[in-house]
Amino acid sequence: MLGFIVKRTGAALATLVAASVLIFMFIHLIPGEPAAVMLGDAATPEQVAALRTRLGLDEPLIIQYFYWAGNALQGDLGRSIFFDEPVTTVIADGAETSILLASITMIWVVLIGVPVGVIAAMRRGSWLDQGLSGLAMLLASIPTFWVGLYLILVFAAQLGWLPSSGYPSIFDEGGLANLRYLILPSLALATPNAALILRLTRASMLDVSKEDYVRTARAKGISPRQVTVRHILRNALLVVVSAFGFTFAALISEAVVTETVFALPGIGRTVVQSILRRDYPVIQGVILVIVCLYLVLNLLVDISYRFLDPRVELE
Amino acid sequence: MTATLQGVFGAAIRRPLTAFGLLFLVVVIVFALASPLIAPYSPLEIDSLNRLVPPNAEHWFGTDHFGRDTFSRVVYGARLALLIGIGVVGFALMTGVPIGVVSALYPRLGRVLMRGVDVLMAFPSLLLALGLIVILGRGVSNAILAIGVVYLTTTARIVYGVTLRLREETYVEAAQSMGAGTLWTVRKHILPNMISPLLVQASFVFAFAQLGAASLDFLGLGTPPDIPSWGNMLAESRLYITRAPWLLFFPGMMIALTAFSLNLTGDALRDHMDPRFREAMGNRKRT
Amino acid sequence: MNAVRKTRSLMLSCAAVIALAAAGALPAGEAEAATLRYATIGEPPSLDIQMGTATLATTIGQNMFETLYAFDEAGAPQPMLAEGETISEDGKTIVITLRTGVPFHNGAEMTAEDVAASLNRWIEFGARGQTLNASSVEATGDNEVTITLAEVNGAWKSLLAFPNGGPAIYPADIVTAAGGEPIKPENYVGTGPYKFVEWRPNRHVELEKFEDYAARSEPSDGSAGAKEATIDTLQFIPVGDVSTRVSGVQAGDYDYAEYISGDLYGILKDDPSIAPHISSAPIFGLMFLNSKEGILAGNWKLRQAILAGLNMTEALQISVGDAELFAAEGSIFPEGNVWYSDAGTENYNQNDPEKAKSLAAEAGYNGEPIKLLVSTNYQQHFDQANVFKQQLAKAGINVELNVTDWATLLKERGEPGSWDMFMTHHGPSPDPVLLTFMNASYPGWWTTDERNADLAKLVGTSDLGERQAAWATTQELVYEQIPAVKVGDVFSFDIASPQLQTTWERAPAFPYFWGATK
Repeated sequence: MLGFIVKRTGAALATLVAASVLIFMFIHLIPGEPAAVMLGDAATPEQVAALRTRLGLDEPLIIQYFYWAGNALQGDLGRSIFFDEPVTTVIADGAETSILLASITMIWVVLIGVPVGVIAAMRRGSWLDQGLSGLAMLLASIPTFWVGLYLILVFAAQLGWLPSSGYPSIFDEGGLANLRYLILPSLALATPNAALILRLTRASMLDVSKEDYVRTARAKGISPRQVTVRHILRNALLVVVSAFGFTFAALISEAVVTETVFALPGIGRTVVQSILRRDYPVIQGVILVIVCLYLVLNLLVDISYRFLDPRVELE
Repeated sequence: MTATLQGVFGAAIRRPLTAFGLLFLVVVIVFALASPLIAPYSPLEIDSLNRLVPPNAEHWFGTDHFGRDTFSRVVYGARLALLIGIGVVGFALMTGVPIGVVSALYPRLGRVLMRGVDVLMAFPSLLLALGLIVILGRGVSNAILAIGVVYLTTTARIVYGVTLRLREETYVEAAQSMGAGTLWTVRKHILPNMISPLLVQASFVFAFAQLGAASLDFLGLGTPPDIPSWGNMLAESRLYITRAPWLLFFPGMMIALTAFSLNLTGDALRDHMDPRFREAMGNRKRT
Repeated sequence: MNAVRKTRSLMLSCAAVIALAAAGALPAGEAEAATLRYATIGEPPSLDIQMGTATLATTIGQNMFETLYAFDEAGAPQPMLAEGETISEDGKTIVITLRTGVPFHNGAEMTAEDVAASLNRWIEFGARGQTLNASSVEATGDNEVTITLAEVNGAWKSLLAFPNGGPAIYPADIVTAAGGEPIKPENYVGTGPYKFVEWRPNRHVELEKFEDYAARSEPSDGSAGAKEATIDTLQFIPVGDVSTRVSGVQAGDYDYAEYISGDLYGILKDDPSIAPHISSAPIFGLMFLNSKEGILAGNWKLRQAILAGLNMTEALQISVGDAELFAAEGSIFPEGNVWYSDAGTENYNQNDPEKAKSLAAEAGYNGEPIKLLVSTNYQQHFDQANVFKQQLAKAGINVELNVTDWATLLKERGEPGSWDMFMTHHGPSPDPVLLTFMNASYPGWWTTDERNADLAKLVGTSDLGERQAAWATTQELVYEQIPAVKVGDVFSFDIASPQLQTTWERAPAFPYFWGATK
């Protein structure tokens, strides 16, 4: 087991190093000057050149990379060109929104996706199952920003039930009630993901029910209901848990668009805006952190999967 | 392969949803091929006197803020949707298949290649596409490339898994022990067996390419906005959502239903696929 | 089993959080009356208003920082931190007396040293510092600074009054330490009615009332006169999406939202939950023509052909919408402004494809592609470019759009070989010398002999009448050589909650809220 953990961690670290080089190279290939964007429309070329030098953008790329990677190892991701603040601060500012948004979305996804998936699986082949599966497929095919725009139109602009946009911190005035700002965005974001988890839950429950040990349990005379609860659901959940790794990462990716629609101060929107502003340190930092998160989550899922699943033998 | 297709059409008769999906795809294809015949107006003709007109007998889907006919733009938008889909699928297959097959047949090289695929997969797909498009600049081919890279990874992984499995199978081993060349083995045994899993993958990639392209368009980083695409129509009309909600409805519906139909087709194909490969198909990534 | 139980308890606790949140939900809009929440189009750049020309930075910064002069309602510069001035015979030496007893937010009193240090930094590094053409600024007494100009510059008072990229007065030690760098937020210290509290990226910039503010005794008049911070706290919140800004004000989440899309005006003006404020200062679209390289360089006939083929009314209708929000006005400065002139404007808004065709033929044009660079970050730029493309196609002029994002456009327009035309816009300008197309180093690079001669007349005197005449000649030349095409005046419109009472009806170029109540 330990060997397995070491091996997987090593692979994840290697991926991370390769990804960091890729991020750095990519970002400096982007055309456009952060200096020009900052100085505005009326800036002269001389002013732009002076600011460029001041920002250290004249150094050779390879030197810039080693500075960046070396500092990143010490937890320093550099300073935002635009905000003139440490990138870690910029990320920390966006992290609360993004983590809460992803978490609330995951709650919807689990609360809706798993039970409905179980129901569909237990009624396999019925009109209910077909209807639910078809609906799930449809919901998984709808762009989240489209859902988001219509949610705003109906629940914020017309009915006025929920705020349309923005998110004041729960640590600010308003406290936990500020979570209401995240209800519409999380619903938009949950739409396709709940549908996917629904389908996944249904499919894995059906797969597991064909396994030998379930047949054995049935043969031993355990009631079908108990078989469902004790064995099938539990093992199906394992599959679902493993899917969370990439669903969570997908959430961060999709949140880029959702955060833009709902003007949320999350890290997804920070990345998009930093790309438009050519704020290299922020883009690099945020993507590095997201990639790290993705790798860690997948590592944890991999390891816990080996722990939890009785059928998987250790390599 | 014929068996798979027969299966799909069989399913279409038994399952009305699949029939709907196939029918809708036919509509999209007809829109794309015959857009000048179907569209009542030019998709680009500006008419400043008829801006933001609600749906009526003359303009079935209303007009946008340029006074352009939304229905005509939706019809022409099908062209770009198909182009993007075919482009992305083509790119993903043309890069993913060689990478996957080579990796499976030459394990040493394969380790390096698949590690590279892992690295790309560690990036959130939309951010990866976004980054690429900012580097390459806006444009149809660049959007195809940017989204294609995302699905290169998943395709390569699936092909890798399937090839490994096929390689283990006795007939391939037997062929090899009889001194057959690698190329011959690939052509004779591996590729033909891969067609049905690739068809399934292609329909899912096609579906997700629609959503990915729409997201890029929406963020203002997709296809050039002077070309009518469903995503661009959404991006341009979002300012008018309170005043002209119908403007967003039709293009959004087209994106959703196209992706839906492709997903249905993919599902139907998968249901009739060789169960040996289903496991390899499990790993799906979305934009 | 364990995992399941854990998942279940996690679900339960999460559900509890949601329920709590829903139960605790306040009716929207019950923010404190003492806070004004202003939804901006995005995150502002540095608020050091000397260094940048972003409108948003000025809108926020003008609450904290003041200049020696300030524009009144009619656009004339009036003393703000200055008390008065004397000008030498030759017009090159200006002695300014300063007000006394004006405290900075850090408690120190403003001195002539602070003013001299701020002006010197602005002249050396400021975004518009070079426009003054000063050779020195010195503190020549406790309350007196002397500005020596290298050349007579009739625009000097306007330049000292214009806050956008303008000479804000900071404490001497802060400007000296900052030098050419933008001042950091923790050092935002000015003399204005509000002081800096915090800047949380993507969330808000917060300012609060400066209790010791020294107001002028004259009544409030535009940006000039007395200013009283009647609202305790100002929050500037970045909300990039316009429909979100609108629904935010409708729902009471924001008290004020800037730059609302013109097409919404029609429905919003009758919405009881919203009070619209049309801007009093037009912004005008500009399509620059490349004077340095490419098919348009030096090709006056082809340029005139392009101008002849354009229908500005249509472009404005489509890109702006409501007729109350635009004016197809050929004069660079709006009517009522001291710089208004109709010289050359007969060439504006001709909408004559036939004339365009024959002019293009005279120019020897044969359908070569003309590259128009445009970004989608500004919807109006793109809409106008798209309309122009269709209009010029009718005259046989083949425009190719090159659509990029704004950052790429800023880079590409710097390369003379890569474009023929690009779209941008121009904010309200207090003086013709500040217009971008009059700047020889601005992309477009308009530096003909005729232009140089006209410009020399424009800056060579401080007599307003002579300068007005010089500008009229220059504008005529602009319509002949066409360094840039003016699209038309666009009046942006902002919206406010009906409870917000401001001292102005039409929104100023940089909306301010002293004297406002809610």
